[in-house]
Amino acid sequence: MLAFLLRRVGSLVFVVWGVGFAAFFISQVVPADPAAAALGNNARPAQVAAYREKRGLDKPPWQQYLLYMRSLATGDLGRSLRTGRPILNDLRDFFPATFELTIAAMLFALALGIPAGIVAAVKQDGPLDLGVRTLALVGGATPVYWLAILMLQLFHAKLGWLPGPGRLDAYLLAPPRVTGILTLDALLAGDWEVLGDALRHLLLPALVLGAFSTALVARMVRSAMLEVLSQDFVRTAKAKGLPDTKVVLKHALRNAALPVLTVLGSLLGALLTGAVLTETIFSWPGLGSYATASATALDFPAVMGVTLIAGLAYSVINLLVDVLYVVFDPRIAYA
Amino acid sequence: MRFKQLAALMVALIVALSLAVGAAQSARQTTLVIGGDWTDLLTIDPGVSYEFSGTVVIDNIYERLVKFDGADLSKVVPGLAESWEIAEQGGGGTSITFHLKDANFSTGRPVKSSDVVFSFERAIQIGGPSSFLFTDVAGMDIGSTVALDDKTVRLDLPASINPSIVLNLLTFNIGGIMDQAEVEPNFQDGDYGQAWLNDHSAGSGPYMLERWDRSAQVVLVANPEYPTPGSITRVIMRYMQEANAQRTALESGEIDIAWDYTPEAFQAAEANTNLKTYKTDTFQMTYLGLNSGPGAPFEDNRVRDAVRYAVDQQAIIDSLLLGLGRRMQTVIPAGLMGADTTIYYERDVEKAKSLLAEAGATGLTVEFLIPTGACGGGIPCADLAAKVQADLAEAGITANIKQTVASELYTIYRAQGAQIVLAAWSPDYPDPDGNATPLSNYDASSIAWRNAWNNPEAGRLATEGATTIDPAVRAEIYGRLTRLVATEGPYTMLYQPYKPIVTSAKVEGFVRSAGGDVELDRISKLP
Repeated sequence: MLAFLLRRVGSLVFVVWGVGFAAFFISQVVPADPAAAALGNNARPAQVAAYREKRGLDKPPWQQYLLYMRSLATGDLGRSLRTGRPILNDLRDFFPATFELTIAAMLFALALGIPAGIVAAVKQDGPLDLGVRTLALVGGATPVYWLAILMLQLFHAKLGWLPGPGRLDAYLLAPPRVTGILTLDALLAGDWEVLGDALRHLLLPALVLGAFSTALVARMVRSAMLEVLSQDFVRTAKAKGLPDTKVVLKHALRNAALPVLTVLGSLLGALLTGAVLTETIFSWPGLGSYATASATALDFPAVMGVTLIAGLAYSVINLLVDVLYVVFDPRIAYA
Repeated sequence: MRFKQLAALMVALIVALSLAVGAAQSARQTTLVIGGDWTDLLTIDPGVSYEFSGTVVIDNIYERLVKFDGADLSKVVPGLAESWEIAEQGGGGTSITFHLKDANFSTGRPVKSSDVVFSFERAIQIGGPSSFLFTDVAGMDIGSTVALDDKTVRLDLPASINPSIVLNLLTFNIGGIMDQAEVEPNFQDGDYGQAWLNDHSAGSGPYMLERWDRSAQVVLVANPEYPTPGSITRVIMRYMQEANAQRTALESGEIDIAWDYTPEAFQAAEANTNLKTYKTDTFQMTYLGLNSGPGAPFEDNRVRDAVRYAVDQQAIIDSLLLGLGRRMQTVIPAGLMGADTTIYYERDVEKAKSLLAEAGATGLTVEFLIPTGACGGGIPCADLAAKVQADLAEAGITANIKQTVASELYTIYRAQGAQIVLAAWSPDYPDPDGNATPLSNYDASSIAWRNAWNNPEAGRLATEGATTIDPAVRAEIYGRLTRLVATEGPYTMLYQPYKPIVTSAKVEGFVRSAGGDVELDRISKLP
């Protein structure tokens, strides 16, 4: 197991390096000049030249890459061309909001998707199954930005049940920043009003972002359950006279969990991509908004930073999933 | 007994609740929430800021020596300086001597002339995106600002510089005065306190920076040292990138002012009695740049004239901008001193055709370079370009649209590589020279150069206008210049957009100047 872990962590470094190299390569191929983007239309030629020199943009690409890798080795992601701040500071500011949103969306996906999948499998071909399958199809096929605008129009503008964009009502004061995760910070500060408001603000974007994942989880659970339910040990358990709920939730679900676990890793990828659109529409100050603003400003160091963080998060989650396999299925052993 | 206790408890509860509600209501009345797309806000440091949203924040935190009065940009009025004199210097230069009024920074320290020297020299040393206003336009350097005593400061200018232009540009962010004793100890790694100033403030204006949560909100609170505080004690600028989100937030009362309305939404808001709409002025000009260099498609002025006759300005304003723009055809737009609002060209397709025939350019085909995203007034550049393309086609010019991101477009344009380009311009400081020199003087290596239009007479007039002090003479020079560039220059002006702003009907006293200033302390909210 230890050898496996070491190997995986080693390959993780390569994955992240590969992602970074790809991002750098793309940034060099894009036929646009970050200096022109940063200084705008009115800039004098001398200003553009000075800007390029100051930030090393006048050096050949391979030199820029070596310089970048050298500072990366010391944990320095460089400075953002747009905000002028160290990118690590920017990421520290923006990552918690995305983390909060992504986790909330994931929880939604599991809390809604798993029961829906179980019910659909147990009542196969019944009206409930049909309902779940239809919803899963719609949820999986609906573009996130469309759903976001629709939900905002309905629950915020028309019905007024839920607050609009943003993380917190403008008149409420955010608690002191500890983790940057607003709900957690409010909890730590014991500020119940902020906690309630933050949760209400979180509801819609998490639901929208989680819609696709919910659909995917429901379908995965359904098909995995169907397979397990038709196996001999389930029939044996039923024959022993165990109650149906116990057979389904204990015997079948545990065995159906493995494929679901497998998609969790790739779900995170979908959530991170979805976050870019969701955050823009919901004015959510996270990595997605940051990535959008950085990309439109051709702020390549910032885009590289976001890419590396996303790549790292994705790899770590997938590693965790692999480790969790062992927990769920003792037959699996890594050598 | 029991009942009495219960009744007392109920009364106490009701009183407490209504007090709390009352407090919440008065907090709402003294808090102003503005929703807008502030993604362009990069810094709250007056010495560095060069963005529109920076102006809204910084001008309310840092006072300048001089300022404009609300939306009236025709003359500067006292700011931190209660008076000033302009004098000739020996050796040909001029100097402006400012007499400071008694004022305190939010830190409690008095504003002194050494703070002025510090603020100006700091901006020059940083060399940020707006520093060329000091170094190039005003000809200032380290040592140009001299503290004569605690309340008197002299600014020395070289002979080639017009002091009235310098006064105009001192109203901009870069002229903001900060407390040296507060900022200097916060210099880190040679950043001159730039990092610190993004989370703190040290100005003498009506507000101070409470916090800037990147991509979420900027919060300003009233400066207790400010002598004439307004009724708004707290201003929250919320980031809302989506115009649609701003609209629903304004209609539900979540925000008081919405910064970015689309023309369609603005039209709907005009009919809504719960809202107030403002068409605020801008100095922006949306124009077509026509490459007039030797061998270029628009070398012959008759071909340029044909484009000017072919474009239907009024239809663009009516059908695309829904009224959020005005016609203009010269390089000095309405609102600036020396503005020329004459309409030199009415649409005449036949005339355009005959001009093209005379110039031997019948069947002209050109590449039409346009940016992605929105153009002036918030309309998609692609829609605007399609309208222009159709207008030109009627006159017999085939314009093939090539759309690219703005930064790439600038790179091509800067290298004189465009044939027709759809572009926008706004002056760096509210003075006619901010337009006249870049748009008319080839030697300034700016817009006239990018369109390869070299007209020595226009260059001479622009230089003369820049250095003339007498306003009447200056206006006369600019009158000649605008006419010359309008009829011979390398541009077809399209329109001067308005910046639409919508507020709740409860918001009073909102004014936005064409330069982007909003005096937040003059705003109040009805209950």
